[in-house]
Amino acid sequence: MSGGLKNAVALCLAIAALYGMRLSTPLYSEIVSPVAVPGVQGKPAKTARFVMGIVKVYLAQELTAPGLGGTRTYTTSGRWLVIEAAAKASNESIALTSAQWRGPDGIRYAMTRRLSTTPGLLGSERLEPGIPRPILLVFELPENQIEGGTLLIAESALAPLSEQLQITMTPIEAANIHPSITIERGGHILPWKLEFQ
Amino acid sequence: MANEQRRSLRQRLFAILIAGIGSAAASVISYAAAIYHAANPAPLRTAATGEMIDTGQWHITIAGARISNKPPTGIKPTEPQTFLLVDFEADNRSAASTFIPSALFSFDPTIPELPEPTIYLVRDRWIAGPVNPRMPEKLTAAWQLPQDYAPPPELRLLVGSQIYKERDNLYGASNWFDREPVAAVELDLPDAGAEARR
Repeated sequence: MSGGLKNAVALCLAIAALYGMRLSTPLYSEIVSPVAVPGVQGKPAKTARFVMGIVKVYLAQELTAPGLGGTRTYTTSGRWLVIEAAAKASNESIALTSAQWRGPDGIRYAMTRRLSTTPGLLGSERLEPGIPRPILLVFELPENQIEGGTLLIAESALAPLSEQLQITMTPIEAANIHPSITIERGGHILPWKLEFQ
Repeated sequence: MANEQRRSLRQRLFAILIAGIGSAAASVISYAAAIYHAANPAPLRTAATGEMIDTGQWHITIAGARISNKPPTGIKPTEPQTFLLVDFEADNRSAASTFIPSALFSFDPTIPELPEPTIYLVRDRWIAGPVNPRMPEKLTAAWQLPQDYAPPPELRLLVGSQIYKERDNLYGASNWFDREPVAAVELDLPDAGAEARR
């Protein structure tokens, strides 16, 4: 009788242990996911291969930008988030190609592809070590996913185990919220120029 | 001693027999069920235009179809071409911006030599990028019809489905996968033929 009880207890323990191991096994996507490097807005955030700083963040309902065959106005059902940033490579020349916005609900929004020909957009130029370059990031977001968001920047969205900057963003100042923003071709240093209405 | 040994052997044989019968019955039932379901597929739901279809990853609402000699950009191609345009609204229900899957739409019966559709964003009248979650967008799927194909006045559009696998069968990675159609939509092409070759 005591032998049977012992067997039953051992069986239950084994099942519990197996279930615990099953629950705690990380997903393959988690094992090869990028290595998070935390950062905050207002300070330069640094990974082993590049440094990035957020300069200014704007919000608009409408965006006008140079497109194929003339200037186009881009409407959205949410809001346009325009981020002016600067980045610099550390040791060798690299290209930053992946930018995502993680909303407070954990939903990931890719950088918009609607403004493909705007000068200075992330991914349009390579970064050289020691030469800071201005970078423009544009996201199309629903209103409730803007405050409390995190900016995720990486060299590539597909490279596993590479570093990804995760910059915690502060709420946008009221002075930087506009009905409409016009992006124009800029000068020698800053490749774009923003005009507000 | 010998008697006891024989009894324990008999017990073990009995246990093996029970386990064998059980597992054989389980596999027979599972195969039979699979064969039965393959032989008697559930009838495909027919959705009307304007009715929301839940495909798993997307909520799709088909608005209608038309035949045109221009793609949704409005720029007429230099060589005369015929386009089959299906207007729809898509709401991304997943947790990340995603392109409309190319296997989302198919036709029954299939149109021979039909290329993959190009998805256009109605807002921009330009090729659509990934659709953001919680931001439903109006889109147009455009198929360039083969030159010698005369579109019929009615078409049956099948809307595919997707399932989410937390661990896929190959790598154990999380991803969305295309599955068989969940709904059919009967589309009228009022201007088939007439406007097409204008």
